[in-house]
Amino acid sequence: MKWKFNPQDLLKLRNVRRVAQVFFFTLFLFFVFVTDLRYLKGYPVSLFLELDPLVSFATAITTHTVYMGLMWSLLLILPTLLFGRIFCNWICPYGILHHVTGWLFGKRRAEERERIEANRYKKLYSLKYVILIAMIAAAIGGTLQIGWLDPICLFHRSMSTVILPMINLFFPSSIYVHQYFHVGAWAIGFMLLFLVGMNLVIPRFFCRVLCPLGAFLGTLSTVALWRIDRDPTKCVDCDLCLKNCEGASDPHTQLRKSECFVCFNCIEDCPEDAISFKFLPSMKREVTAPAVPGRRAFLGTLIGLGFYAFARTSGASDRNYDKKVIRPPGSVEEKDFLDRCIKCDQCIRTCPTNVLQPAVLESGLEGIWTPILNMKLGFCEVNCTLCGEVCPTGAIQRISIEEKTGTGPFEKEGPIKLGTAFFDTGRCLPWAMETPCVVCEEVCPVSPKAIYSREVTITKRDGNPITLRRPYVDPALCIGCGICEHECPVTDEAAIRVTAVGETRSKDRRLLMDGGVTSAVMDLEKRQR
Amino acid sequence: MSLPKSNQPDPAPEDSVSRREFLVRLGITGALIAGSGLVAKKLWQPNHFVPGFQKEKGLQLNSYALEASKLLPSLAIAHGTEHEPVIRAALGALGGMGRFIKKGDVVMIKPNVAFDRPPALAATTHPDALRAVAKLCFEAGADKVIIADNPINSPTGCFFKSGLTTVASDMNLDLLYPETNSFAPLSMDGEILKEWTFFNTPFKKATKVIGLAPCKDHNLCHASMTMKNWYGLLGGRRNQFHQHIHSIVSDFALMMKPTLVILDGMNVLMSNGPTGGRLSDVKTMNTIVAGTDMVAVDAYGYEHLLERDLAELTYIHKAHDRGLGNKNWKDTVYKEVQA
Amino acid sequence: MAIGKQYGSGGRKQFVRTRVPAAESFASAIILLLIVAIAAAIFHKGKNYDPNLYAVRTDSLKSTIAPVTGKGVTAPSGQSAAAQSTRTEAQTPALTEPAAETPVTDKPAANAEGSPEGGGEGAAAAPKPAVKGEPLEIALPGTKPMSDTEFYNSDNLFEKIDGRSPAYQSFNVQQLRCRSFAVTALAGSYVDVYEYRFDNPVDAFGMFSLERDAKGHALDFAPDGYSGEMGYFFRQGAVYVQIIASDQKTETMTLAKAIAENRAKELPVNDSGLAGRRKLPATGLISDSVAYVPENAQGQAALKDVFQAHYKYDGVELPFFVMVTTPDDAAKAWQSFQDFCAKFGKAETLPDVNGGKIFRAQLFNKWKVVYVREGELGGAYDAADAAQAQAFIEKYLRGELK
Repeated sequence: MKWKFNPQDLLKLRNVRRVAQVFFFTLFLFFVFVTDLRYLKGYPVSLFLELDPLVSFATAITTHTVYMGLMWSLLLILPTLLFGRIFCNWICPYGILHHVTGWLFGKRRAEERERIEANRYKKLYSLKYVILIAMIAAAIGGTLQIGWLDPICLFHRSMSTVILPMINLFFPSSIYVHQYFHVGAWAIGFMLLFLVGMNLVIPRFFCRVLCPLGAFLGTLSTVALWRIDRDPTKCVDCDLCLKNCEGASDPHTQLRKSECFVCFNCIEDCPEDAISFKFLPSMKREVTAPAVPGRRAFLGTLIGLGFYAFARTSGASDRNYDKKVIRPPGSVEEKDFLDRCIKCDQCIRTCPTNVLQPAVLESGLEGIWTPILNMKLGFCEVNCTLCGEVCPTGAIQRISIEEKTGTGPFEKEGPIKLGTAFFDTGRCLPWAMETPCVVCEEVCPVSPKAIYSREVTITKRDGNPITLRRPYVDPALCIGCGICEHECPVTDEAAIRVTAVGETRSKDRRLLMDGGVTSAVMDLEKRQR
Repeated sequence: MSLPKSNQPDPAPEDSVSRREFLVRLGITGALIAGSGLVAKKLWQPNHFVPGFQKEKGLQLNSYALEASKLLPSLAIAHGTEHEPVIRAALGALGGMGRFIKKGDVVMIKPNVAFDRPPALAATTHPDALRAVAKLCFEAGADKVIIADNPINSPTGCFFKSGLTTVASDMNLDLLYPETNSFAPLSMDGEILKEWTFFNTPFKKATKVIGLAPCKDHNLCHASMTMKNWYGLLGGRRNQFHQHIHSIVSDFALMMKPTLVILDGMNVLMSNGPTGGRLSDVKTMNTIVAGTDMVAVDAYGYEHLLERDLAELTYIHKAHDRGLGNKNWKDTVYKEVQA
Repeated sequence: MAIGKQYGSGGRKQFVRTRVPAAESFASAIILLLIVAIAAAIFHKGKNYDPNLYAVRTDSLKSTIAPVTGKGVTAPSGQSAAAQSTRTEAQTPALTEPAAETPVTDKPAANAEGSPEGGGEGAAAAPKPAVKGEPLEIALPGTKPMSDTEFYNSDNLFEKIDGRSPAYQSFNVQQLRCRSFAVTALAGSYVDVYEYRFDNPVDAFGMFSLERDAKGHALDFAPDGYSGEMGYFFRQGAVYVQIIASDQKTETMTLAKAIAENRAKELPVNDSGLAGRRKLPATGLISDSVAYVPENAQGQAALKDVFQAHYKYDGVELPFFVMVTTPDDAAKAWQSFQDFCAKFGKAETLPDVNGGKIFRAQLFNKWKVVYVREGELGGAYDAADAAQAQAFIEKYLRGELK
């Protein structure tokens, strides 16, 4: 099969689509790679998330606001309302990944009939609408769970927690300065493998069956003014248009507007040139709305509301909060956090110390893959606000360094505290092991230090005296950054550990009544610093 | 070339979109585009905030105080042997309860029911005092009289043992016990009190507020009178206030602007307050003080009822210095009468 | 769908579309230009940024665990303590508070190491659960319990007595056990029983005397106790008992007395450590000034289990101490104290008063007047005026100070 280069080919929409796919996929990979302290500069690395209409729609439901950069999603909603699901094949990097996987590993030239059969519409494809309805119902209830399956969130999360560390594992120092680890990365990795691998079974499996964003855009496409149109006078029912149909939108009969990815493959494949992209063609030759049975939709609502209810009544976001749920600096209060976090793990990607980790069940079922700090792996660098910079939904607000450290105009309010450090004096070397240490006091970054020590002279086991400094924490000054825990030489379970109580983002998790102002001031006066 | 025709239905002549359909579809899509744009713009939050440090839009309490009168006294002291005639005399000296309560008012009387002590021990508001004040309110035309307090321990026990439950049922008063959802966050710019949970339900319908407090010694802040009385409206872990008790009590003068306060000095708890416990701690002073300025009323009470040196009473001076009242009650327009 | 079973290309060669409508070309061109514009915009956006955002000290990201290795080595015996502390003093802020040895007073202010409120691990400790105990059962005719027994410990005592609790906490109260008992004969009448348990009889006595009513009537069943018009108050063992009646009706008061006697019978008697405390006269005693020094009072090894208090006497504040022990030990202590004072200052014996031997001494510009009488040793100390101190002691010995 020869193919002669024809300059006209460049301006075929399908080929422009291919150019766009390359561009956007490369752009996505660029953003992912550059989300690093050293390279970040001013690049809008969360752009794909901000463009994602499902993110802005769902967060508008849960928070009644459209946070900062999420206005960009209008740029995608507009073309969708006009042209249909162009996003799914032109822009969506996850979709492009599935497209390429299917093309690379799927059925190739020979099995033409199998390819045609594989692209017929199946009733299974209505599942994504039920998923979308469940997620929206959960959002109306009061918890944001689109992050499980939203393609951009999923892809960002997979890249941040699995792919990039994997690349760094095989090619050390290519991505990170030192290897990054992420709790539970194996689950995210296998999920990615599964979803991408399923392209060998059903082409564009994720996009057709599971993608809630696709479902959302499909619903919006209902009113699209342009669509793929088949001229029945020219059509010979050869079904060749199905051979490369990405969306399984039945272009060979009545086009399913909500499924069509506007990939333009059918236009190129039709030997009779019967297919075109038409403005306001007749509604008789299309299936306008998504084919979702009412009962399934109702079931989806129940599942969504049920998820919200079951997750909340498990109590993890109320008084029974886990002490290990230490959220990044600038995070909103926990219930609001679960209303905003889309589990994209951008913050985890950008964190320079690898302290941010995807939670497993610490903050309940709703909080899976949301960021929490794990001081064994890192600590929160005081002068860093990168996580807030990249968070698209404001789960972590875009605070400034002055707001974080309580300096300059923010001095009266004081610093943001992530939690409070507590000594485990049974493990602490000077307290329990007759051994001098106080590394914690040395590395405490606040001024005046939140860790202070008192000299005490004891008689050791061998009978000799030893003068030790025994450290204490001042909860009024401690900001919960965790450097002390990270540097503590008792590395398996540090003798000083940060827990969530005392975090300033939450009114009912404060440790001291007046924010500790009295104790801090009194102590300062006492110590005359 | 004649290709086999498709099995699909031929396009009918009118298959092309009619003008009406054209406009409708265009309209719907256009409306959706415009709509999503407008909604997004309305909900847009272009600036970040710092979580945990926002100025909480908590409850702002109304002022229940009346306009200051230039003619009528703002403080009245009455002496006598029985609660009702003395309270009547005191209110009469101020111009009558009718000056404060009008027809149709919903009056919230805040008694001190902090402990489950019998009335004779003067640790709580005396039932006879409540009876008299409630009676006067009804006589002045009040529609409803609410009484409420939030003792830390067992509200039903405290109201019962102090004899106030009987008064409430006898006189058909609205006794509101604190429940979990009776509280709302209060926002104010106090010295210590900035945001705290507040026993809000009794105030929802109230148009006038009267504080009715016994006169007691207090081992932490020296005295518990009309200013300390408002402590009973706070919820949460109040024992933290012990650390800053004088500042908190002066904050109460900022928090609450009542219509009237009445200090029951008929039987005064002179020592071992605030709980007392023995009759020998109680001294009969046979005085009622009523006024619109709780700082002035407390100042009188400390000097003349508890018979101590006003210089010790830190919270009075704090409140006076903050401009929340006048501790020099002698400089105000006052009247002293005998019942 | 398909005509017959034939569909697909049917063996024809791959179709390639050649005719590209102008509209399509135009749209394609626009889109390509858009892509270029987007790329340019992103590139431009990447250039504009606030460098302060990335002013993270990257060297701070490196772990500092290294310097700690080697710290864990215990120096072999013989090496001085100073050499073991290898971290230089200059690096850590000079923040030392030497462990203070404060005498255990009636109101213990700080524990031995003097850690401030809110320091260290104490700040995080969850509140102690209310100490459970045996319900307060009183089997007497004419009464039955009105409610369950309530238990409170030092942390949540404020829930029962609110602002009064710090007074009890200053004496280290351990538990409050309280219950109300109804008078079956009278509706609405009841008797409240409060039992405050302290660590030791001395603390219980301290709290009891703080609230003591000077005008109360003595009780025959409890030496440290009195009755008022509406209740009974006494200390027995380490427990301070309050029986409070709801009114003064006969049946209520009878029941209150019966309950008080019942508690006095049931609670164990324990007066350890109180001998000296009882000796402190009440007249002129400045409340809150009573202190208990278990040993080494005034630097004297012989002075143990000493009670100290300050008195307002004749316009001055006079510190007074007293100790009760065997007559032999008391005499020896008196003598050794006098010898000590003679060695470092001036001491002279004064004439005996009412069986008590007295010496007066001046030490470092302050006067002491110390007496011994049988098993009791005491005196005024740190007095500015010798005559006043002496007068006070002589008055005391004559029994004129109660």
